[in-house]
Amino acid sequence: MMRKILFTVNDAPCSITCHPAKTLLDVLREDLDLTASKECCGKGECGSCSVLVNNEVVCSCLILVGQVENQNVITCEGVGLTPHLDHIQESFIEEGATQCGYCTPGIIVSAKAFLNDVDYVPSVDEIKTALGGNLCRCTGYSKIIQAIKTAAEKNLKELGTV
Amino acid sequence: MIAGGTDAAVRMKEGKWRPEVWINIKGIHELRYISEKDGAIHIGPLTTHTDIIRHTLLQKKADVLVEAAREVGAIQMQNMGTIGGNIGTASPAGDTIPALYVLGAVFELRSITSVRLVPIEEFFIGPGKTILKKKEMITNIIIPPQKANEIGIFQKLGPRKAQSISIVNVAISLLMGKDRKCLGGKIAFGAVAPTIIRAKKCEALLTQQPLTDEIIQNIGKIAWKEVMPITDGRATAAYRRDMASSLLERGLYRLLRRWENDGEK
Repeated sequence: MMRKILFTVNDAPCSITCHPAKTLLDVLREDLDLTASKECCGKGECGSCSVLVNNEVVCSCLILVGQVENQNVITCEGVGLTPHLDHIQESFIEEGATQCGYCTPGIIVSAKAFLNDVDYVPSVDEIKTALGGNLCRCTGYSKIIQAIKTAAEKNLKELGTV
Repeated sequence: MIAGGTDAAVRMKEGKWRPEVWINIKGIHELRYISEKDGAIHIGPLTTHTDIIRHTLLQKKADVLVEAAREVGAIQMQNMGTIGGNIGTASPAGDTIPALYVLGAVFELRSITSVRLVPIEEFFIGPGKTILKKKEMITNIIIPPQKANEIGIFQKLGPRKAQSISIVNVAISLLMGKDRKCLGGKIAFGAVAPTIIRAKKCEALLTQQPLTDEIIQNIGKIAWKEVMPITDGRATAAYRRDMASSLLERGLYRLLRRWENDGEK
């Protein structure tokens, strides 16, 4: 049973006709060509599919598209695209916080949700808690954590000059 | 019926079920609330774990539930998963359920034609099994607020700190008197039996004498005998027994340290 579903993706209204039990992740990747979010474990353990729904980080592989009707979805593409990268993305490049890149979009989305809520440079433990739901099998996390610290510093600096 | 989807969608993808019709209840705002009225705390089933963690009323009057919600998965799961879903899934390892046991929760179950109140101890029958009838749903979770001298703690052992399923967990709630004298208390273990269980023999010892280090160690030893774990992919029965004993002992120490440092809330 196909149905028309309306929601917002990366601040743009979006209308999609599909089965409402298709996962949000599949709709993003197959119907909307937004391929930053990845399917890895498919059961909410790895965070590669993380997106923001109404500014909260969730696993798009476990949300049915019918459940986001009239909601606001932000993917990694919505956090920033070249040349208008977010501070988090810039810092990931500067700090070399990416290796194979499969987990990176999910981590950037989680970091975005986390940094939206803090107005200081978070401690390593706070960053670790915020990233508890995102697995990376390449980097050992230290560069990722450093990148998020650097991004928080940039955010603060920008706030200071406004 | 799908709420947070953290279990329902996984089961669909694994081919364990494929419902012809999904009823999405996630958007029903009337079932997402935390309030205190007529001397009881009411929690709507669609309240997320994040809602629980952030709520000041619960931090003060249902501390053990807040601690348990914090141990559920990681941020993504806490944002998506609902307390009604955690109850309805009825996993023997569900983290919020032991906390609801020691708080003495009562569930309101409704169908179109009926409404009934069921104490938590009568609700679960086995892994994934509850007394919920086909056309019923959980519509309210009612808990008596903790008193000023009532303190709780949730302890969990998982393979890693975040995002893990419990190998053993335990919730403790104590009503404290002067010094280390305990006036009453409840202890509930998760992942050591087909459902969450109360450790009634351990509970009986809580009030016998002041909770000295020696008494706490004894209570831990009793827990070793009282739990009935199985061996599965996550741990052996013997390991679970040892850990149940240690977690309870550690939980009681930590709780008493908090009581001695902070006193009444």
